Amino acid sequence: MNGEAIIRCEGIAKSYFRDSLEIPVLQGLDLEIPRGGYFALMGPSGSGKTTLLNLIAGIDRPTGGSLEVCGYRLNDLDDDELAGWRAIHVGFIFQNYNLVPVLNAFENVELPLLLQPLSRAQRRARVLEALALVNLEDRMWNFPRQLSGGQEQRVAIARAIVSDPRILVADEPTGALDAKNAEEVMALLERLNQDLGKTILLVTHDPKAAHHARVQIHLEKGVLDRTVEVNR
Amino acid sequence: MELLFLPLLPYLAWLLWTALRHPIPLSYNWRSLWQRKVGTLSTAGAIAVVVAIFVVVLSLAQGISSAFVSSGRADQVVVLRPNARVELNSSLERDRARILKSSPLVAWDSLGPLASAECLTVKLLELADGSGSTNVLFRGLEPAGVRMRSQVRLVEGRWFRPNLPELVLPLKMKDRFRDIALGRTFTFNGLNWTVVGLFDAGSSAFDSEVWTDVETLMHAHRRISYNAMLVRLQAPEKIPVFVKAIEDDKRLKLEGKPEAAYFAQQTEAGKPIQILGQMITVILTVGAIFAAMNTMFAAVASRTPEIGTLRALGFRRVEILASFQWEALMLCALGGVAGAAMALSFNGIRTGTTNFETFSDVGFAFTVTPALMLEGFGFSLLMGVLGGFPPAWRASRIPVTDAMKGG
Ligand SMILES: Nc1ncnc2c1ncn2[C@@H]1O[C@H](COP(=O)(O)OP(=O)(O)O)[C@@H](O)[C@H]1O
Ligand SMILES: [Mg+2]
Repeated sequence: MNGEAIIRCEGIAKSYFRDSLEIPVLQGLDLEIPRGGYFALMGPSGSGKTTLLNLIAGIDRPTGGSLEVCGYRLNDLDDDELAGWRAIHVGFIFQNYNLVPVLNAFENVELPLLLQPLSRAQRRARVLEALALVNLEDRMWNFPRQLSGGQEQRVAIARAIVSDPRILVADEPTGALDAKNAEEVMALLERLNQDLGKTILLVTHDPKAAHHARVQIHLEKGVLDRTVEVNR
Repeated sequence: MELLFLPLLPYLAWLLWTALRHPIPLSYNWRSLWQRKVGTLSTAGAIAVVVAIFVVVLSLAQGISSAFVSSGRADQVVVLRPNARVELNSSLERDRARILKSSPLVAWDSLGPLASAECLTVKLLELADGSGSTNVLFRGLEPAGVRMRSQVRLVEGRWFRPNLPELVLPLKMKDRFRDIALGRTFTFNGLNWTVVGLFDAGSSAFDSEVWTDVETLMHAHRRISYNAMLVRLQAPEKIPVFVKAIEDDKRLKLEGKPEAAYFAQQTEAGKPIQILGQMITVILTVGAIFAAMNTMFAAVASRTPEIGTLRALGFRRVEILASFQWEALMLCALGGVAGAAMALSFNGIRTGTTNFETFSDVGFAFTVTPALMLEGFGFSLLMGVLGGFPPAWRASRIPVTDAMKGG
């Protein structure tokens, strides 16, 4: 691919250990994702998609290989540095939204900004901007339990982009949604990629969702099986 | 208790600092507590009870000590037989009393020298609650003895007269003893003693004593010597001189104790219940700490995905630790405030205990001061730190990848 890769995995390996028994999940995987890319990571259940996503997003560590994301070699960062790195560079979108139930939509979106040296007014402006992007300004005082699944996921997306990270990772973001809401979320992600230039790594086993991506990569038994450019 | 806080001080300072520049707002913890209302309220309730007991035990000690501390005057000396410790165990012959009274250091008022030779004895009186009888100290005084206790005021009737079996009792005894009223008679030592007056001793130790004429009391008991003498000096500075003088006088061989110190030493009367109370408090505290710990462990377990999410968003381990530590502190502080308020309802309630120096009853009122309430509140925070730390530590160790596993 081109030289402007924002994500670069070289010989990535990840094994889990259970009672001194090694369970290899990823075995020497190479992957480059260019800045502004929109990749869908596909593959059967248990093939290691979530594992790979977690490594790239800096919430887990590889047992082998080298990982460079947004210009940082993640292997070299310690725990706190990695947390600081995540706060700036990655936005997370989860299958189950993972909103904090005791915080309202506004406060949930505000969370990542609390880690940055911003004034209350600056935070407020950014939160409103992010909520406007997902079209939920009118629900900002609602708590998660007062929102539909689709709305919750849109709040979660607002939270993922509010600190303006360059990369978005989404693990089965439509897994808990009905077709209509799923379609809405996918359209939103596509806009974030095209209009705001976010690099997106999407894990899904839904072909319809994967079709929104520009490149599909298939994981099979811990190695990349094939890469398909989506033509539209 | 203050000592317990010292090793925790750096940790508490750090916590405060995290709260000030706290990335995770405290409202998050406050609302999370209310999310689990039942668990929060029952744990806070348990802590409240422990804090209340803690404060009440302290207020009891405070009550006893303020009863004794308010009894002594800075310019008066209690004269005793050497090593007698308390008046009851002492004795003082009449001729020695006369020598003491004639000392040039003794203060006078318009009626004569301010020195009172006194006789003490103990009698059983029936308790008001019907639970039996307890020993009460009877004090026979010379007229000067009444004038020298400036905190004692007559509130009903009149003072006893010399050479008559007349008693004057503390009004406060009414709550604790049966049939305390003007005109009542007691029969002992072959005499009928009539209650002719009621006094108020301003919650000092004299509020636990029955007063009468010294000669009548001695006569009734066929005693030939007094127990002790209270002497007022011309100035507090004269105390050491006077004490030295009576010690050196071969005819006397007596010991003088400043009245304030004499009563302060009796504060020890509260020790046995205080120690019992402290033992109960310690046991309950351990229980309350485990209750808080248990509640917080449950909170951490049920919020594992939430904690993982916060970590994924970029919050560091220390911030999670501080957040849950604060939540535990809030939980316990809630109990602390409730407990201090509960203890306040004991304020002023009068009861009594046995003074193990005289084996007679000392009445006192639970004295719940703001300082004691603050101490109780601090105590609840201590429970919050100790009970909250292990769950907070566990929360900070949750792997981030657990965020992906549900929500
Ligand atoms: N924490 C873990 N400990 C042990 N094994 C794990 C752990 N997480 C994942 N695995 C195993 O690794 C494999 C890949 O898991 P995962 O990356 O979640 O797959 P996918 O997301 O593609 O379904 C599975 O066999 C799973 O059981
Ligand atoms: Mg998965």
